[in-house]
Amino acid sequence: MLMALTVSVLLMTGSAEARGQQTDQIPGVSLGLVYAESYLPALAVKPFSSTFGGVGLASEVEAIVAQDLRYSDRFEVMDSLPAGLIGDQLDYTLWDRLGAVWLVTGQLESAGEDFVFAAELHDVVYGELRESGRFRIPAQSDEDFRMVVHRVSDEIVRWATGEQGMAASRIAFTMTDSEGNKDVHLIDSDGLNLTRLTDFGSLLESPSWSPDGRKVAYTSWRSGYPRIYEMNVATGSERMLAAVRGAGDYITPAYHPDGRTLAFSVLGSDARSGIFTYDFERDCCLAYLSGGPWYDFSPTYSPDGRWIAFNTQRFGDAVPQVMLMPSEGGSAETLSPYEYGSGGYFTAPDWSPNSDLVAFHGRIERGRYHVLVASLEDDGRVLRQLTTEGNNEDPSWAPDGRHLVFVGERSWGYGLFVVDVGTGRIRSLIAGRRVGVPDWSPALQAR
Amino acid sequence: MIVRRFLVPLVAAILVVGACGGDPPPPPAPPPGPDMDSLRAYQDSVRRAEEAARAEAARLAAERAAEAERQRAAAAARATLEEMVFFDYDISEVRDDAATVLRAKVDILRASPQVRIRIEGHADERGATEYNLALGNRRAEAIRQFLTGFGLSENRFEIVSFGEGRPLAQGSNEGSWARNRRGQFVITAGANAINPAE
Repeated sequence: MLMALTVSVLLMTGSAEARGQQTDQIPGVSLGLVYAESYLPALAVKPFSSTFGGVGLASEVEAIVAQDLRYSDRFEVMDSLPAGLIGDQLDYTLWDRLGAVWLVTGQLESAGEDFVFAAELHDVVYGELRESGRFRIPAQSDEDFRMVVHRVSDEIVRWATGEQGMAASRIAFTMTDSEGNKDVHLIDSDGLNLTRLTDFGSLLESPSWSPDGRKVAYTSWRSGYPRIYEMNVATGSERMLAAVRGAGDYITPAYHPDGRTLAFSVLGSDARSGIFTYDFERDCCLAYLSGGPWYDFSPTYSPDGRWIAFNTQRFGDAVPQVMLMPSEGGSAETLSPYEYGSGGYFTAPDWSPNSDLVAFHGRIERGRYHVLVASLEDDGRVLRQLTTEGNNEDPSWAPDGRHLVFVGERSWGYGLFVVDVGTGRIRSLIAGRRVGVPDWSPALQAR
Repeated sequence: MIVRRFLVPLVAAILVVGACGGDPPPPPAPPPGPDMDSLRAYQDSVRRAEEAARAEAARLAAERAAEAERQRAAAAARATLEEMVFFDYDISEVRDDAATVLRAKVDILRASPQVRIRIEGHADERGATEYNLALGNRRAEAIRQFLTGFGLSENRFEIVSFGEGRPLAQGSNEGSWARNRRGQFVITAGANAINPAE
């Protein structure tokens, strides 16, 4: 049993029909949203035009942008309307009558081999242009085409909300092949462009993005022992963490937000077990932060790099807990709701890239695992449960700090899902594959 | 036995004849007179040779049997060393049935000082992937501590966790899970110097 905590009233998440219903209370855990559910302004996308007859490309860009804005979960994106109905002229009255609050317009221009996309965001209520920008777009055959359009979508989100989007990002995760081996795969935030990053024919876990989005660190068993490596995503070049200090399992790498330091765990060592840091850039300066006869692992940095949340087994078997400590080491405190003898299973913490929210998953009822979010502001005393169906594990925050990707186990198999902690909406990212330990990239910049 | 006494020279004579090709046979040597001493000596030599042959055959058979037994015992000892142990759900403590298996390994390891072992810890698929890495490591560590608790040197063992990544059984049911949360043993040195327990 979990200790009794504040139990507040509860919004069922996951499906629109169920939203607003009350549900059975689970001690210590509130079902519901992390951000207050609020009204979503209606956003319309006027069919994008083209100055050179590239209608196909314009509609492709429009489809990507409209989908991205839908997936941002910050707007109710209106169904597209036929161009003939709208006309060429911008008529705020018409859009106001249709119920739009925001209107996105765009025009594609030819620019040598490439194109320029001129985007505008209009405030229909005030009847004025809010922002505009011009973006260079490569040809559709270019492998970067979709990512460049995703960046346009994130810019539109920023114009409307002032906040970071997540369209231009990718998720790294493991996928198991028919021989039971795992390799790192990447998929875009919209569920397209599935690519394989590694091909070692071995066991591999815990892919973790560098803060510049150029590298992925992970643990590979291909030497026979778990060791940490870092791969450059663009070039495929790889190196091993040089700081091997004797026997032990080297697992769960996580980058400091400054990109210079890597935190990781060494378990079963003949010397020390626990969380270490290492200057990956200079290949030196190993530091021991925490550990002991118990095990500490799965570190994750706060956005300012001053704190680390991590998982610990120091309370014994079967009661893993999430704790916090200063990132230079020091005394740790429990974030997950543990009291001696009370049990509780909380694992796989991931600290939001821009707030005091830490996501993890826990065993909640009848052996079910669900994605939970704790806020440091209330000392983790209220856990928000974001999933209700199946088993759900290993949440990882998007660069917008409001979406989480996680592994879901359903009656039909496994998949990656994305939940918006503002609306509770859940969508499938990849389904029916044996996937694991996703890590959402930072906002990806142009190459 | 008398027959043999005369037979031997006869055979010798035939052999001589054979060796001479087509020449007419020389007249047979006169049969030797009865010589009880040489007869006895001959009989003794035969008996000794037959006894030696029997002893040698028995020695060889015993050697073969001993070698077969030694191999069987070594194979049995190896199988004992490699026998997996299983754990309760989400627990790294060594179970009673596992302790029996491990205790048998201790005796063999004492008699086989060159043998080194890699202990592999595994978890079932339930729970967090990274947590299961730690759980597998704790299980391997619990086994190592059990073995070193009997005075075996720590440097004969290394441990590695595979978490939930290398299941024995693929199903998502208690039967498969029970098979998958286990410790496995790989002999990394001294595989041809395994002696059974004394």
